[in-house]
Amino acid sequence: MKTVRTQILLCAGGSCISSGMESVRSGLERELERHGLASEVEIIATGCMGMCQIGPMAIVYPEGVFYQKLTPDDAAEIVEEHLLKGRVVERLLYKRATTGELVEAISNIDFFKLQEKIALRNCGSIDPEDIREYIAADGYEALGRVLSSMTPEQVVAEVKASGLRGRGGAGFPTGLKWQFTAAEKAEPKYVVCNGDEGDPGAFMDRSILEGDPHSIIEAMAICGYAVGAHQGYVYVRAEYPLAIRRLAKAIEQAREYGLLGQDLFGSGFAFDLEIRMGAGAFVCGEETALMHSIEGRRGEPRPKPPFPAQQGLFGKPTVLNNVETFANIPTIILEGAETFAKLGTEKSRGTKVFALAGDVVNSGLVEVPMGISLGSVVFDIGGGIPNNKAFKAVQIGGPSGGCIPKEYLNTPITYESLPELGAIMGSGGLIVMNEDTCMVDLARYFLEFITEESCGKCTPCRVGTRIMLELVTKICRGRGTMEDLRKLEELAPQIAKTSLCGLGQTAPNPVLSTLRYFREEYLEHIQEHRCRAGVCTDLMWAPCTNACPASVNVPAYMAYVSQGRYEDALRIHLKANPFPSVCGRVCPQWCIKKCRRGDLEGPLAVRLVKRFMGDQARDYDDLYPAKEAANGHRVAVIGSGPAGLTAAYYLVLMGYGVTVFERQAEAGGMLRYAIPDYRLPRAYVDKEIDGLVKLGVEIRTGVEIGRDITIPQLEEQGYEAFYVASGCGREIRPNIPGVDLPGVYTGIEFLDRAAKGEKLPVGRDVLVIGGGDSAIDASRIARRMGARNVTILYRRTRSEMPTNPIEIREAEVEGNKVEFLANIDAIRQQDGRLEVSIVRMRLGPFDKTGRRRPEPMPAAGEARLVDAVILAIGQQSDADALVDTTGGLEATSWHGVQADPKTGRTTRPNVFAGGDLVIGAATVVEAIQAGQIGAKAIDQMLRPAPRRQYLWEQLDPPEIVPDLDADVEAIDPTREPLLRPEERLISVEVERTITAAEAMREACRCLRCDYKG
Amino acid sequence: MATQAPARTCGPQNDLFAELDAFIAGQGPGRDALIPVLHKAQELFGFLPIDVQRHVADALGVPVSEVLGVVTFYHYFSMQPRGRHTVNVCLGTACYVRGAKKVVEALCGELGVRLGETTADRRFSLTSQRCFGACGLAPVIMIDENVHGRVTPKKVPGILAQYE
Amino acid sequence: MKSLDELRKIRDQVRKDLELRGGQHRAKVVVCMGTCGIAAGARETMKAILDTLEAEKVTDVAVVAAGCQGFCEQEPLVEIHLRDAAPVRYGHVDAEKAARIVREHILGGHTVDELVFG
Repeated sequence: MKTVRTQILLCAGGSCISSGMESVRSGLERELERHGLASEVEIIATGCMGMCQIGPMAIVYPEGVFYQKLTPDDAAEIVEEHLLKGRVVERLLYKRATTGELVEAISNIDFFKLQEKIALRNCGSIDPEDIREYIAADGYEALGRVLSSMTPEQVVAEVKASGLRGRGGAGFPTGLKWQFTAAEKAEPKYVVCNGDEGDPGAFMDRSILEGDPHSIIEAMAICGYAVGAHQGYVYVRAEYPLAIRRLAKAIEQAREYGLLGQDLFGSGFAFDLEIRMGAGAFVCGEETALMHSIEGRRGEPRPKPPFPAQQGLFGKPTVLNNVETFANIPTIILEGAETFAKLGTEKSRGTKVFALAGDVVNSGLVEVPMGISLGSVVFDIGGGIPNNKAFKAVQIGGPSGGCIPKEYLNTPITYESLPELGAIMGSGGLIVMNEDTCMVDLARYFLEFITEESCGKCTPCRVGTRIMLELVTKICRGRGTMEDLRKLEELAPQIAKTSLCGLGQTAPNPVLSTLRYFREEYLEHIQEHRCRAGVCTDLMWAPCTNACPASVNVPAYMAYVSQGRYEDALRIHLKANPFPSVCGRVCPQWCIKKCRRGDLEGPLAVRLVKRFMGDQARDYDDLYPAKEAANGHRVAVIGSGPAGLTAAYYLVLMGYGVTVFERQAEAGGMLRYAIPDYRLPRAYVDKEIDGLVKLGVEIRTGVEIGRDITIPQLEEQGYEAFYVASGCGREIRPNIPGVDLPGVYTGIEFLDRAAKGEKLPVGRDVLVIGGGDSAIDASRIARRMGARNVTILYRRTRSEMPTNPIEIREAEVEGNKVEFLANIDAIRQQDGRLEVSIVRMRLGPFDKTGRRRPEPMPAAGEARLVDAVILAIGQQSDADALVDTTGGLEATSWHGVQADPKTGRTTRPNVFAGGDLVIGAATVVEAIQAGQIGAKAIDQMLRPAPRRQYLWEQLDPPEIVPDLDADVEAIDPTREPLLRPEERLISVEVERTITAAEAMREACRCLRCDYKG
Repeated sequence: MATQAPARTCGPQNDLFAELDAFIAGQGPGRDALIPVLHKAQELFGFLPIDVQRHVADALGVPVSEVLGVVTFYHYFSMQPRGRHTVNVCLGTACYVRGAKKVVEALCGELGVRLGETTADRRFSLTSQRCFGACGLAPVIMIDENVHGRVTPKKVPGILAQYE
Repeated sequence: MKSLDELRKIRDQVRKDLELRGGQHRAKVVVCMGTCGIAAGARETMKAILDTLEAEKVTDVAVVAAGCQGFCEQEPLVEIHLRDAAPVRYGHVDAEKAARIVREHILGGHTVDELVFG
């Protein structure tokens, strides 16, 4: 490898090439040559980076600075400023979505492109306080035409033909409502506009009243003409003072212009309007309650029938429509019912305005044709979820609606499709929620809302929802029982069936829908006293500990590290996790996603502190928890990966005699045979496994259960219980021609042979297929074996890669390329090399994981000649022999063992299973959690008296009281102590250990969320 | 009622009643003017003590029991005196999801009161409501008629300082 | 309003007044002033625009307070219409940026690229 100090990655995707990437490249080369930097700086053309709108673009490593929209003229500045003087060229920087405009500019294109504005047609473009501007935008033209050339019957017919349905919630056909009122003989009649937009999260009515009040006035006058009413009321909630002010001004101006009042357009028709201000009662959104409120009474609903069309306001025939519904009327008249009906779907015509809010990049109001997919609204228009968090669900339809989880992102939004999923269109509030939302707490929130807003008139709603709230609150506090859950499920349909009005009838919906899609979260709260989102504080020691699969007491060891008490720190760590040095190198850090310090300047560098702490001890012999006296029971553990070893560790500590059986020549499983040594040097694996052996774990290597010996035979030898954690170490081979050719490896096989010291003849050009850790690891190892051009093909995009972004970046720094939206469909032999047929992919509809599913593009694939192909597309297990020889076990479709991941129980009473074998390829820390579960299950089976708490469940407060006033400067959270690429061939490990001073300072930043005062 | 009714004898109070009467006179006949009149009365007096309710009842020819029924039904009407400024925290879903809870904690800490209470110096009343419809700026608080968006606990003291 | 013709006459007259080309205004500035815009500081933005125009002694620019365009995330939001050009939207426009947009875009004729969105 050359002694390259910097790499410049240039995107060579088709779009960047066409926007001039080649001339940028030659510009850079020329400038590098001119400054004598050509040998130090390497220019690498990469595959499409997937942000074609801002090309040509480049990433300069090691800093990872991202430049966009480059021209050849920029080359000189980049070389002189950045490479020579080390100053970033601000002007060319790509700006992050959260701070800059650029990414938003991209999403904005979708934000506007997918919208169709009818109800919001004038919002934001005209001055709402100037009637002349509304007139200039064809305002009152519809009213004029209706009064000059249409009969009331024709107007009703036109609205009916448009297919418009009520936008306030229930979706009743508007034309029909008008027809019923028109048919009534009683006089006077009224037109009422419902602007009591009470659903939290909905604000389209406010926007229309504020931005285009005349459209409502015009529509209500048209409605008045159609049904024979001369007086209208607009009921607006008091929380909208600006809307009330603008509407009042609009009404005044309309009167001045003779557009309200007597003899409109010389037709003899008279119509006038009054505003009625609400006074803060959610139930007044219900039509009968609203009319009581206009009458000056308590806003309590009454049973229907009689419907408002027969006996409405003041007992007279009344049309009651929502603001957004009315806002559509002038356009329907002007453009014709047919034009309107062309938008949307068969039964849901036209557009709907949604208020997009919550955890979404572009919150705001969007008006889209009915039938658009939910995913398109959230991701294309909404721009997805900010801060790299995962999408969890949307709440649609407010407190009467329901949530829709990621599995249903392809659902078209219509009046019919949403109820099938347990939600409703409602008024169009669409709250996006990320992984940090607890669905039980959400249900509690809506119940609290409902109990406060219940008017109290009928018992099911008044008392029933209160009981539901008590039950859900109990569950949130960790005191709920399965009986409470049963009561909740019994009560919900009763309240829905027997309540007087819509409020009570829909009140149980949030509970029913969260139970439907997130029942496991309720069960976790009840059975495990665990809130995975980290919201229910009564169930949490600290957010980090709660997020950690192994429940490591992070604040406690941070407290000790901050004072240099590393042994005490390690003692804390070893109670929950026997692998501090290993996890200090490979843990994906679930904890820091929830770190409260992250709300300030950035989360703690937990892994780096852990790594430093682990490395302070040569061994942990004096630091392990005390061992209980031997109890005479014998347990066999199958598989010596982190899951098996963790189970063995706890079982030995609890006095069991444990033997671990390992198929390979050495213990460690994936720690030894999959994770490359530049990330995890074997010395640390050895150190931590040796510690377990000294503690009393017996390990027998080279023994495969099911082939060399069987579980029934082990039973005969006196083993009473078994923990199977033999992992998921067999690669899935794609079903395409050529996978068995020489030079084609699977990822696991490749990593395994490399770990055993084999140097494989990978040649010069290597293609790696896949996007997970093993694909990235294999690519980096291939380079270390001498490959010059290593390219990773991934079928999705960068943001969807299931591996740590730092690993991708490091692979790129080392010179590997990643091509996104690419896959292969055949491998052939060609002149002693491999010819791979590459297929370009594009993102199609959403899949069950909430990501867009890649699908091949119709265009013909391209052929590429390489020397080796590594297929790292996914792993499966290899437990068929074990299952077959044991009896009573059942295999999974991926050749694993069927078991409940929460309890480790299999279909055979004395066999338990966990880890990758049960849940598929996962992380070390999840395997440790599985080991804890396995140890607990076996202890519960063999031990007569139940144990109160297991080691990892004991969360001890550290002796150190936090200094809450301490204000410690952060180490740069983006800084990774990495070796430069050219140093990496000298030292095995790519990352440095931080210094003691850095570790102590970093640990001081811990906010000690465990401290309860 | 623990709260003190305004004394009718003192000058400014009389002016307020006169202004209320003028407003009532401008309304059409019938009880449907009740809610607009109560809005006006609360705007004038700051809250709706029983005396004011009785006055409204007499003027509109509605039994005082019904006036009380209406006043107690709607959240917007208060029978307790309010502070000079009303700090209204939005607890709508969007604000809730985006951390309104923490904002409430900060406000309670800063003002030394709980939700629904008024500070001893009558400077602020702290209340909460469900959704102001400014979800795009969540979390949101409204002080009097001014909406403050993207509020964080850190910003709370600075925002409060704008109101004397 | 006595007839549709009367309405249309007003409509055409207003359209003419609002038209930039050949009209009395060389530019139109739309400031979104819904609740969300105001909460995000649109009043200050509006004031800065008016102040800057006044300081530059410009009288032929129409300034309009409009409602919400739905893009609450970007508030305060300002849209600039120049003759013969597609409107340009600026997001997160505070007083300082507003003054810059007036000087560089309206008076100078150059879009302020880094503040543009959409």
